[in-house]
Amino acid sequence: MATDVEEWKAEVYGTDIREHVERFAEEGWASIPDEERDAWFERFKWYGLYHQRAGQESYFMMRIGTPGGVLEPGQLRVVGEVAKEYATGPVSNPEFGDAWADFTTRQSIQLHWIKVEDIVDVWDELESAGLSTVQACGDSWRNIVSCPVAGKDANEHVDALATVHEFQREFKENDRYRNMPRKWKVAVTGCREGCGQGDINDLAFEPASKDGVDGYNVRVGGGLARNEPRLARDIDVFVPHERAAAVADGMSALFEEYGNREDRYSARIKFLVDEWGAEKVRRVLEEEFVDFELQSAGEGFRESYSYNAGRDGDGHDDHVGVHSQADGTNYVGLNVLVGRMGVDDVLELADLADEYGSGEVRLTQRQNVVVTDVPDEDLDDLLAADLLDDYEPDPSPFMRGSIACTGTEFCSLSIVETKNRMVRYARHLRDTVSLPDEVEDFHVHLSGCTASCAQPQIADVSLRGMKTRKDGEPVEAFDLGLGGGLGENPRFADWVGERIPADEVPGAIANLVETYEREREGAETFRDFVERHDESDLEDLVEPEETSYEDPMMHNTKRTWYPYAEDDDMAASPAPTDGDGVPLDAATGDDSAPADD
Amino acid sequence: MKVNAYTTLDLVDCRVRTADDEAAGLGVANATSARENPEHVRLRFEADGQPEGVAAHVDELELDPEQARALAADLESHAAKVEAARSGEHGD
Repeated sequence: MATDVEEWKAEVYGTDIREHVERFAEEGWASIPDEERDAWFERFKWYGLYHQRAGQESYFMMRIGTPGGVLEPGQLRVVGEVAKEYATGPVSNPEFGDAWADFTTRQSIQLHWIKVEDIVDVWDELESAGLSTVQACGDSWRNIVSCPVAGKDANEHVDALATVHEFQREFKENDRYRNMPRKWKVAVTGCREGCGQGDINDLAFEPASKDGVDGYNVRVGGGLARNEPRLARDIDVFVPHERAAAVADGMSALFEEYGNREDRYSARIKFLVDEWGAEKVRRVLEEEFVDFELQSAGEGFRESYSYNAGRDGDGHDDHVGVHSQADGTNYVGLNVLVGRMGVDDVLELADLADEYGSGEVRLTQRQNVVVTDVPDEDLDDLLAADLLDDYEPDPSPFMRGSIACTGTEFCSLSIVETKNRMVRYARHLRDTVSLPDEVEDFHVHLSGCTASCAQPQIADVSLRGMKTRKDGEPVEAFDLGLGGGLGENPRFADWVGERIPADEVPGAIANLVETYEREREGAETFRDFVERHDESDLEDLVEPEETSYEDPMMHNTKRTWYPYAEDDDMAASPAPTDGDGVPLDAATGDDSAPADD
Repeated sequence: MKVNAYTTLDLVDCRVRTADDEAAGLGVANATSARENPEHVRLRFEADGQPEGVAAHVDELELDPEQARALAADLESHAAKVEAARSGEHGD
């Protein structure tokens, strides 16, 4: 029997949702009937809208999908202007102010505190600039991720961006796949460094050649969530560049047909691949969903994959810094700590991109930004801009390597504070811990729960939100993992430290780094060092301790209405509010806790 | 076990005993049921630490509604008893 979500989707889904959102925007928050809210909020996801967590009723997170992370000239400015006008909540964030944009690990943009009454106006502004929120969340073709410098990279094998644009036209700008059993995450990699992170996606196109033809090898069934991480499985298929869309179409249709609709927790295609095996996936794809004979896998480039790999070598671990483009100009990757940028900085970055580049800005899966098309003669001026003091092209490895999810600030799943905490961690580590001189990359990924939005399993140090007791009091804490990373031989972290109080995590990392520096062999990277040890040795290496780091958010932030409010008690929440932010009668509020976990 | 804001208890004192050994520490417990067409209530428990020779694992009870209510009633009753004792009132 179909789930509630399946029934809601069967009633209204895909582009049909829009007219209802327009009606609710016109009539206001109170016009969404209490008993229909679960259904409508589930449907809103197709249009990139997530209702925020308990205590923040009537406010939405809006996700803008930027295919391959590309913001065309002018688009970043519109994002900044929209954020400034509409993404302001009742209370400021002490680190990021009244409004900001979040750059995500899927090269998208998230805005918070959006009122239902403003959604149509926001859409109008975004769409006038060619931006869209369609299929950004929900059971849909999510934002297509890619090498962030696809089409610019001096060293790429195939132009992934051309494929991304084709997929965008075929599958995203219509509701052809309005009935997927679950989210559908697709990655297209064209470079030799693995920047698309295909291994953690439902469907991955990886650069390859066969018989002198350039194209992609195909992998299926990767993903990190539900405490059941999987690497995408090789289905032994090579597809020429011009036929990639046919295979993407076929795999999408296969998932639509055979994906599990009875249990949403087992619906992602990774579980179907577990059940069937790669060989059957390939056979069913060929027999039922494409009209040509599939070729066996071609020659790929996985041995040179360096992105997020933590290995020694020539390739990039990220896109931070100044790099040459194929056309002789340069791209400049700027570190955006935890992916969050205040709106005034967003607008200033748009100005810099106009002045020194082509106006284009790109987003990376490491929550950073890249200014493209900067001629040699303009490089020094761009690098001297004040904005780059905060968004550095050559940051400390701890600033550069930090990723964090949304956390209890807005997310209904998280059990700990994340972004502001990761900012504090990174600054503390930068100021107090030294890595060996030649180490540029040290990745710390912090996720607020097992949903794994910060991709914690593929970092040097993996942090996942937990709770523990300290001095008799329950406090926010983290499980700590080691040994994760992508590259030629991707691997997920082993969770070797449990329930470390949040204020002892910087001490634990400092002790790990000290041991690494003392015991490393030659120029061994941290990941290589970790892999040399077995799990019980690694457990011994994790030595949490208090340091000069102080954490103001040790209490149970998920029980607050907003962790940074002066009165953070749930009862002090002004939500829900009307379109002007005026609190509505509490009797119309909703309890958005779902029936299940 | 996965742990998020909907987990019933993300922090609970616990003890795992075998005939020869015992591990006391923290654990996670979650009462849940399938979102759609649930057949039973699932009560899951996972301890962080295990006694010697016991591998990390999750225990799961499948409770029919009657059993779930019986368990809930006993928990309520004992919770009241503990609260009463803590507040200095007379317990049974």
